[in-house]
Amino acid sequence: MSSLTMALRLAPYLARSKGSSLRETGLRDAGLPILAFGTVTALLLTVAGGSQVFWSWTDDIAGTYQALAVVAMVLLIIPLLTLGASAARLAARRRDDRLASLRLLGANSATVVWMTVMESTVLAAVGALAGAGLYACTAPFLGLIQFRGQAIGSHAWLSVPSILGCVLAVCVLAAASAALGLRKVVVTPLGVRTRQTADGAHWVRGLIAAVVVVIGVVAMGMLSSFGAFIVIIAVMGGCFGLALLALNLMGPWLLRLRASSQLKRAKRPEHLLAARTVLESPKESWRQVGGVAMTSFVGVFVGVGMAVADTMGGSAGDETALLVRDINTGVMITLLGSFLMVACSAGVNQAAAVLDRAPMLVALDRVGMPRKLMVAARVKAVMSPLFLVAGISAAAAAVLVLPLTGAVLLTQPVVFVTIGGVFAAGFLLVRLAVAAGTAQISQVLARPERYASMDS
Amino acid sequence: MNAILHAQQLTKHYPGSLALDHVDFTANTGESIAIIGPSGSGKTTLLHCLAGILRPDAGSVTLNTPSSPLRLDTLGDAALSRLRREEFGFVFQQGMLLPELTAIENVALALMLNGTDRATSESRAAEWLAALGLGGMEQRRLGELSGGQVQRVAIARAQVTGARVVFADEPTGALDSATSSEVLDILLGSVAANGRTLLVVTHDPNVAARCRRVVELRDGRIVADTGGPSTPAASAATNFKGAFNV
Repeated sequence: MSSLTMALRLAPYLARSKGSSLRETGLRDAGLPILAFGTVTALLLTVAGGSQVFWSWTDDIAGTYQALAVVAMVLLIIPLLTLGASAARLAARRRDDRLASLRLLGANSATVVWMTVMESTVLAAVGALAGAGLYACTAPFLGLIQFRGQAIGSHAWLSVPSILGCVLAVCVLAAASAALGLRKVVVTPLGVRTRQTADGAHWVRGLIAAVVVVIGVVAMGMLSSFGAFIVIIAVMGGCFGLALLALNLMGPWLLRLRASSQLKRAKRPEHLLAARTVLESPKESWRQVGGVAMTSFVGVFVGVGMAVADTMGGSAGDETALLVRDINTGVMITLLGSFLMVACSAGVNQAAAVLDRAPMLVALDRVGMPRKLMVAARVKAVMSPLFLVAGISAAAAAVLVLPLTGAVLLTQPVVFVTIGGVFAAGFLLVRLAVAAGTAQISQVLARPERYASMDS
Repeated sequence: MNAILHAQQLTKHYPGSLALDHVDFTANTGESIAIIGPSGSGKTTLLHCLAGILRPDAGSVTLNTPSSPLRLDTLGDAALSRLRREEFGFVFQQGMLLPELTAIENVALALMLNGTDRATSESRAAEWLAALGLGGMEQRRLGELSGGQVQRVAIARAQVTGARVVFADEPTGALDSATSSEVLDILLGSVAANGRTLLVVTHDPNVAARCRRVVELRDGRIVADTGGPSTPAASAATNFKGAFNV
C-alpha cells in the first residue's frame, strides 16, 4: 500500500475529536488555524485589491503612487506571509503528538508527512474560502476609500480567478509550511513525544540578519544611482522586504539571548517559569510578539510618511495637496492592516498556547501553584520581550530609512509621536490578547476533567 | 497512632454516577496506605477529596496540623491551594512535572512557591535528587531522563517542602515492572524514613502488597480495610534511613 493511500485511510481517524465532551479540543484543533487562515486570506485579498488600483493608472504622477504602493505592499505582505506561516504551523502543531505516536507505532515518514500536509491544507482551504467570503463582504466598503479625490470603487475588486489564485496560494503555503514543520516529528518522533530538547535559535540567525540590514542600508544609500525608476522601486521594496525577513530570522535568537540572561537572574517562581517558557521555544515566543516587531517597523515608515506630508503640505499646489492627503490615507490603511495582523496573530497564538498547556496547568493547580502566579508567568513570558522586540525593529527601520530621508526628517516630532503611538497601541493589543489567554486559564481550571485524567 | 487525615461521610456525585457514598476514612501519621479498586470505584475521587483538589458534595475532611485541626471542606480556593503546596506532596502517573524546566528546577520550584529563595531551594533540591540517586543529573531536562528517573524527580518534588502527607496516583502505572519496583522502593523508603504518611491509588497488586495498609473501594464505598505493619515497607524505611537526612 502506498504512503498516500495509507495516509488517506488514516486521516479520518486522526481527524476525529477525542469525544463529544471535548468540544474545546475540536476548537483547538481546527478553529484557531481556520480563523488565522481566514484572516490572512481576507487581508491578503484586501491588500492585493487595494494595490491594483494604483497599477491601473498611467499618467505622470502614477509612478509616485506606485512607488508608495510598493512600500506599503511590502510592509504588509511580509508580515502577512509570516502570519500565514504561523497559522500553518499552528495547524500542524495540533497534530504533532498524535503523529509522533503513529510514527512510533511504525507508520513510515511519507505517510506521516502526507497526513499532516493533507490536514493542514484542508484547514487552510476552509479558512481561505471563509476569508474570501469576508473579503467579498467588505470590498464594497473598501471601495469608499478615496484616492486622488475620488472613491476607488470597483477598481479595488479582484477578479474571481485572482481570488481563487490567492486561496490556492494560501493552501500551498500551508502545505509547504506543514511539511517543513514536521521534519522533526519524522526524524525524531520520541524526541517530540518526550520534548527532549528545546527549540534552538542559533546565533547565525543574528549574523545573517545583521548582514542583510547592512546590505539594505548600503543599497538604500545608492538608490539614486540605479537610474531607471522601476529598478529603484524594486530595490527599495526588496530592501524593506529583506529587512522584515531579517527581523523574523533574528527575533527568536534575540529572545533566547534575553531569556538566558533572565533565567540566571530569576529569583521568583514566575520569573523562572517565564524565562524557561521562552527558552523552551524562542520561535513560538517570537510568534507571540513578532506582530509588534512588524508594526514597530511599519510605524517608522508611517511616521516618516507623516513628516513628508507635513513638509510638502506647507507649499502645496492642488496636485501636491491631493498627494499629501493620499499619503496620509495610505499610511493609515497600512497601519490599520498592520494592527489587524498583530491582533489576529497575538490572539490566535495566545489561545493556542494556553490550550496546549492545559493538562500541565491542571497538574500545577493540583500541586498548589496559585492561579495568579500562573497568570503572572504567562504575562511575563509574553510582555517582557516586547520592549526589546519593538525597540530593535524600530531601530532597524530607522537605519534603513535614514539614507532615504536624512536625519532631519527622521527626527521630526511627528515621527516620534507616531512611533510612540504605534508602540502603545501594539502593546495594548498584545496585552489584551494575553488577558484573553490568561482568562482561559481560569476556564481550564474550572473544568480540569476535560484536560486531565479523572478516574472516578 | 495519631490520625493526621480524617474523612467523615464523604459523598461525591458526578453526572449520572455516585463516586463516593458516605465514606469514612482515617489516615495515621507514618502509615503507607494503598487505595485499590476497579476502574470507576471512586479511588482517585477519594484521593482528590482528601487532598483538597475536589470538594465533596457532603461530609468533611479534617487535617490535624500541629496548631489545630483544619477542615478542608470549609476552606476557600486560595487557602486550599496553599495547603496543598505546604502540607501535601503529589506524585502523579506521568510525573506531571514541567518539561521546560530542568530536574533541579522542578524540585526547587516547590520550595520557591512557598517563599524560599532560589539558591536555598536549589541547594535543598540537589540534596534530595542526590539522595534519590539522581546526583549529576540535576541540569537535565525531563526529556533526557528515563521514566523511572522522572518519577524520582516527582518524588523529590513531593517531599522537598517537608509535606506531611504524600498522595500518589498510580505512580508506577507507566513503568515496566523492574523500574516500577525501584520507584516504589524509593517512594516507600523516603516517605517512611521521614515519618510521613503515604496514600497511593493503584491498580497494581504488587504496589498494594508493599504498603502497610490496603483500603479497597467498590462503587464508592470502602469494602475492605486491612491494617497492621508490613514487613517490606518497614524494611524499606530502614534501608533509606541513612540516605534521607535532608
